Amino acid sequence: MIEHALAPIGLAALQAAAMLALAPLLRGLIKKMKAALQMRQGPPLLQVYYDLAKLLRKEAVRSATSSWLYIAGPRMYFATAVVATTLVPVWIAAAPLEAAGGVLAFVGILALGRFFLATAALDTGSPFGGMGASREMTIAALAEPALMLGLFTAALSAGSLNLGALVRGLLDRGVAFHPSDVLALAGLFIVVIAETGRVPVDNPATHLELTMIHEAMVLEYAGADLALVEWASALKELLYLTLLADLFAPIGIATSASPVLLLQSALIWAAKMFVLALAVTLVESTNAKLRLFRVPDLMAVSLGLGFLALAIRFL
Amino acid sequence: MDAFPPLQEWFPAAVAAYLTSAAAAVVLARWPRLCRVTAFGGSMLGSALVVALALSVLAGEPVSGRLGVHAASGIAFGYAVTPLAAWFLLVLGLVSAPVALYSIGYLPHAVPDGRTALLGASFNVLVAAVAVVFAAADVITFLLAWEVMTLATAALVASEHEIPATRRAAYVYLVMSHVGTGALLAGFLMLASMAGSVSFEFVLAGDVAAGRWRDVLFVLFFFGFGVKAGVIPLHIWLPEAHPAAPSNISALMSAVLIKAGIYGLFRVCAFGLGVPAVNWGLGVMALGALSAILGVLYALAQSDLKRLLAYSTIENAGIILLGLGAGMTAAALGRADLAAAGIAASLFHVLNHALFKGLLFLSAGSVVMASGSRRLEELGGLIRRMPWTAAFFLVGALAVSGLPPLNGFASEWLTFQALLLGFASLSGVTRMNFPLAGALLALTSALAAACFVKAFGTVFLALPRSRAAIDAGESPAIMLVPQGWLAVLCVGVGLFPGAVLGAIAGVLTSLPGLRLAHAPAGALTMAVGPASFDHVAPAALGLTLAAAVLGAAIVAMAPRLRSGQARLARRVPTWGCGGELGPANQYTGAAFSKPLMMIFRTVLRPTREVEALADVSPYYPREVRYRTAIEPVFERYLYHPLTTAVLGAAGRLKVLQAGSLHAYLAYVLVLGVVLLIWLGGMR
Repeated sequence: MIEHALAPIGLAALQAAAMLALAPLLRGLIKKMKAALQMRQGPPLLQVYYDLAKLLRKEAVRSATSSWLYIAGPRMYFATAVVATTLVPVWIAAAPLEAAGGVLAFVGILALGRFFLATAALDTGSPFGGMGASREMTIAALAEPALMLGLFTAALSAGSLNLGALVRGLLDRGVAFHPSDVLALAGLFIVVIAETGRVPVDNPATHLELTMIHEAMVLEYAGADLALVEWASALKELLYLTLLADLFAPIGIATSASPVLLLQSALIWAAKMFVLALAVTLVESTNAKLRLFRVPDLMAVSLGLGFLALAIRFL
Repeated sequence: MDAFPPLQEWFPAAVAAYLTSAAAAVVLARWPRLCRVTAFGGSMLGSALVVALALSVLAGEPVSGRLGVHAASGIAFGYAVTPLAAWFLLVLGLVSAPVALYSIGYLPHAVPDGRTALLGASFNVLVAAVAVVFAAADVITFLLAWEVMTLATAALVASEHEIPATRRAAYVYLVMSHVGTGALLAGFLMLASMAGSVSFEFVLAGDVAAGRWRDVLFVLFFFGFGVKAGVIPLHIWLPEAHPAAPSNISALMSAVLIKAGIYGLFRVCAFGLGVPAVNWGLGVMALGALSAILGVLYALAQSDLKRLLAYSTIENAGIILLGLGAGMTAAALGRADLAAAGIAASLFHVLNHALFKGLLFLSAGSVVMASGSRRLEELGGLIRRMPWTAAFFLVGALAVSGLPPLNGFASEWLTFQALLLGFASLSGVTRMNFPLAGALLALTSALAAACFVKAFGTVFLALPRSRAAIDAGESPAIMLVPQGWLAVLCVGVGLFPGAVLGAIAGVLTSLPGLRLAHAPAGALTMAVGPASFDHVAPAALGLTLAAAVLGAAIVAMAPRLRSGQARLARRVPTWGCGGELGPANQYTGAAFSKPLMMIFRTVLRPTREVEALADVSPYYPREVRYRTAIEPVFERYLYHPLTTAVLGAAGRLKVLQAGSLHAYLAYVLVLGVVLLIWLGGMR
């Protein structure tokens, strides 16, 4: 009985730790590729790690007007990203904590983190925090239905809303390509861009008050608090890309826990991440950031694509 | 066990407890303190009885009996606590008991002592009436209790009647309710005359009406009950009446009173008129989605805390209707298992909404009591002055936003299941409505999260925006304990949804046309379809989350501990862009929701007026006044033409009622002659 409970917990801890360890690399990789496209040398691949290490050692500085929620915000944001990691199959066709919930739990738990971070942003009394929180919640609200529709399409064609069972269902179905996949992938890719705060929705590199969204929300944070937020954002990005790979190209994921399969699966996963990171980089390098009030149009396109995909798939 | 009275006597005993407390409140009117303790203490006793009865019915057999017999006419007032009624009675008891306890501490600050008796008595009469509505076994008992419920609510809404807006709110409520009651009366008269009985056993057997008549009856009943449930477009009384009433009454209205309308929709529209038609189910779903989306958008636009909560009530009524509509559609298509999923989601949300909205209104009441203001833009920084109230409001805000592991997530999860299972198992174009409704539900809950980040952040965080907010202090324990109790229930139901679903399963088996395909697996896990489709164990999510938060805290602390730095953070003033940061620099609630207002401007039609008062140059204004409002679309384009038409018709008919006795005598004579001729002809 106890072994039954311990095995998933151990797997969950392992997967979360490995994903946490790899997440900053993805950020660094995107930065490096972006710099290469702009004919710059760019920061070292491991710069994000150095930044995190430095921030974690820094003294904590907090606003005098803030309350306990300001401290809880980054911790909850980080923790929800970690919990979400345990619900997604990464290298093996089963999520460690499959028993805890599926797609809806995944979306819900990430929304919980966002709620806390946005609330905490209002705690300092700085207008930037409010501005960022307002915009973040606005875009999240618009992205949510599109995200759900995209996930529903994949889930319904696999016959399960549980991510582990979903991936196994897709693998059982075989390599059968369906035209609706293109639409669903396009729709979900837009959502992922929005949720991870990338151009054209948000610009992770800007600190200009008129344009920043996520950065404005966390502008007051410093030291370890900021490190948690940055790390969790990187983890979320890796997680969303893994989710896309799971939903649209599950091929190659290990179906049993044999070491050879696992190694092979990890390599294939890394290749998929590289391709997706390249796609994110290309989109970010070839597009200008949209005006805030044009973002709803983009989200509407995503929602429309999701609905079309569903209609084509099932009608 | 012989010491316990038989179950048959519990319901009359609970009603008697409420009515005795009401009478005691009137008798003790001269001693406000004693009056409060007696009235609300008695009410809690009645609610405890109701909860005990509901639990034993849910665990065992239905109970029925008589409340009394009218000797002269021989009309018996029967009651029957069916499992469905028991579920709603459970909700009533679980929320009205803490609200009553809260009222003991709240009333002396909210109303003058002279009105304590009126409020105490009306409160008890209202709770008793709603209990009888839930348990009524015949048309007459039901309609009597329904009317008493309406009148008691109107008295409570009007308790601060020296304010014109309050009088208007009570008036609008009365008019809307009575139009609704008129529809119910017509519906029940038709049903009763078709069935030849007034007992619900025959009237709502499902085989009474057929064909077109069924559709007519459905529309009548949906209209009548929809007014009470706050379904858009029948909602206009709700955002007026909820804020106008004292906060404890708002909590009771939102948590319990609107559930009377929902109960009616279940009892009559879904299960009383036979197997529902597909169009009924789709119609209910459509209106549910409309209420959910518009409710939350209007809530976002509010700057009055209690109006915001009132609109959120409309949103949640919409979510309840989404589940019900999905269930009805599936039942119409002959899918008993899918129908069970939708109905279960709907019933679960009835409980959850009562718990978290009761909690939110009570916390809002504490805020209003402490600061004297309901306006978001005058509040702020209350988390340091009212830490407990802030924590409880936060729990309610998380629950209403449908976030795990709280109870709102559990029922929204079930609603998603009902919609997706429906899509997966049905065929044809009809099923495309299900994922569309799912996307709208996702939008609704994300907008609700934005709305409650705004509400919580503006009221409780950062710097206080007014003198009143600076001087605010924490509520007494007697007001905090009920909030704590509801918060614990929100968390508990969220962590153990399987146990609640088990109780709902008992309700489902008692209803016609439903079959739960998969028995609940346990207290922790929840699943309505096959386990491979989806399941959720919020307690596991909660535990993992707790472990992860602990891990985050360690990650944040460990590097500095080793380097020997001070663990306490340095506190500095927030950067004010070069100036000194004051309350005026903060983001306001209106600013927070502005982007969403702009994005949904075609629906909300916001208006704004900006006025700059300058002394020297227009570039250096001394004062800027900003006013924004959203267009009351339904009032302006639906109700205004309607009332104008009614008043116009009444004006024209006034000619008949000229005040001349001779004319009236002539009418009687003409009518008499016509009747004689007509009746003579019939013979």
